[in-house]
Amino acid sequence: MAGAPVEALQHVPLFAELDRHEVEQIARLFKERRFAKGETVVREGSGGAAFFLIDSGEATVSVGGAPRTNLGPGDYFGEIALIDEGARSATITAVSELSCYGLTFWDFRPLVQENGAIGWKLLQSMAKKLRAAEQGASLS
Amino acid sequence: MKEVVPLAKASDTAIFGSKAVGLGDAARKGLSVPPGVALSGSIVEAVASGEERAIESVEKSVRPLPAPLAVRSSAVDEDGADASFAGQHLTLLNVPSVAEVSSAVREIWWSANSDSAITYRQRVGLFTRPSVGVVVQTLLDSDIAGVMFTLNPMNGADECMIEASWGLGEAVVAGLVIPDHYRIDRSGQVLERRPGRKKRAVRPLVTGDTFEEEVPPNLVEQLCLDDDQLAELHRLAIRCEEVYGPARDIEWAFAGGALYLLQCRAVTRVGI
Repeated sequence: MAGAPVEALQHVPLFAELDRHEVEQIARLFKERRFAKGETVVREGSGGAAFFLIDSGEATVSVGGAPRTNLGPGDYFGEIALIDEGARSATITAVSELSCYGLTFWDFRPLVQENGAIGWKLLQSMAKKLRAAEQGASLS
Repeated sequence: MKEVVPLAKASDTAIFGSKAVGLGDAARKGLSVPPGVALSGSIVEAVASGEERAIESVEKSVRPLPAPLAVRSSAVDEDGADASFAGQHLTLLNVPSVAEVSSAVREIWWSANSDSAITYRQRVGLFTRPSVGVVVQTLLDSDIAGVMFTLNPMNGADECMIEASWGLGEAVVAGLVIPDHYRIDRSGQVLERRPGRKKRAVRPLVTGDTFEEEVPPNLVEQLCLDDDQLAELHRLAIRCEEVYGPARDIEWAFAGGALYLLQCRAVTRVGI
């Protein structure tokens, strides 16, 4: 398979402001990645290199060794790493054979650098996420 | 450049990576290396992206190689220092047929773009996009294999130090056994033969991958190299130094009675 399904990417909040053509450009940059059952997909604290969208299979999410949730087809993780290459905030482990579409920072950055419209819309998505986080913090 | 070439034509580290060019140098100088091809960093990228033309081109080039295959990474980086990426980039032994080569290539691409590889690159101050070439070779079902240093890495003495065990060399490289230990002086005289405890041998599986086989009890502590084989290894060491320069770290294998060079790098540390 070449690239990721556009429809699935349109559900990712980071890409929510983008039009279909822009999402298609991003979708083409994805590469297939498979993980064996039991394999660590990302490790908490490790530098993050890629964003993943799950195509098939299941994975568990844990933080500090404590299980948090399960992930399945259509779920995604690591979108912030596309921008800051920051440390992973959770450990994700494949509980079955796991097939993902992965997009690395290295592939994503040139597209955004060359396309101001995409960059601006990503900024808007990030601003919304930040505002939601601030409102959540002030309510709690 | 999206290229696949026979190993003997791999000569540019910026395109094919240092491992491929090292093996290419060996083939050009008449050293016996298993048959294989080198994939440029850009065709590896294209195969990982699922580009049909790139996949077809790789499969066409790999098809004449006798299977099973070994698919190894060959780092393409500004310092050309493949050794510095040891452990970060992947080697897939015993890929059973051409049909599995593209997924092996994709896995190798991801090994150069994994979280651990990126963390490592950041730690050593590399902020450029990773690129990785690939070497595809026939995987020898070796009878005996191991490593050889043309300078003793323990004390820097001007002598060959050899570690050997039964089966594939991974048993020695991965530390699965206590290998036989040999020292040979520059004139070819054997200075030391010390049997190890080689309880396990790594063998290729028909279905792909490898497995660990129990070594028959009578072979566990029996020396696996005889005088003729030690002499052949000594000649290989001398030839590698002529081709590549002094102080070499060599991976080798005997298969079907013939000695093959699998890899030749500079010794990076002395006094370990």
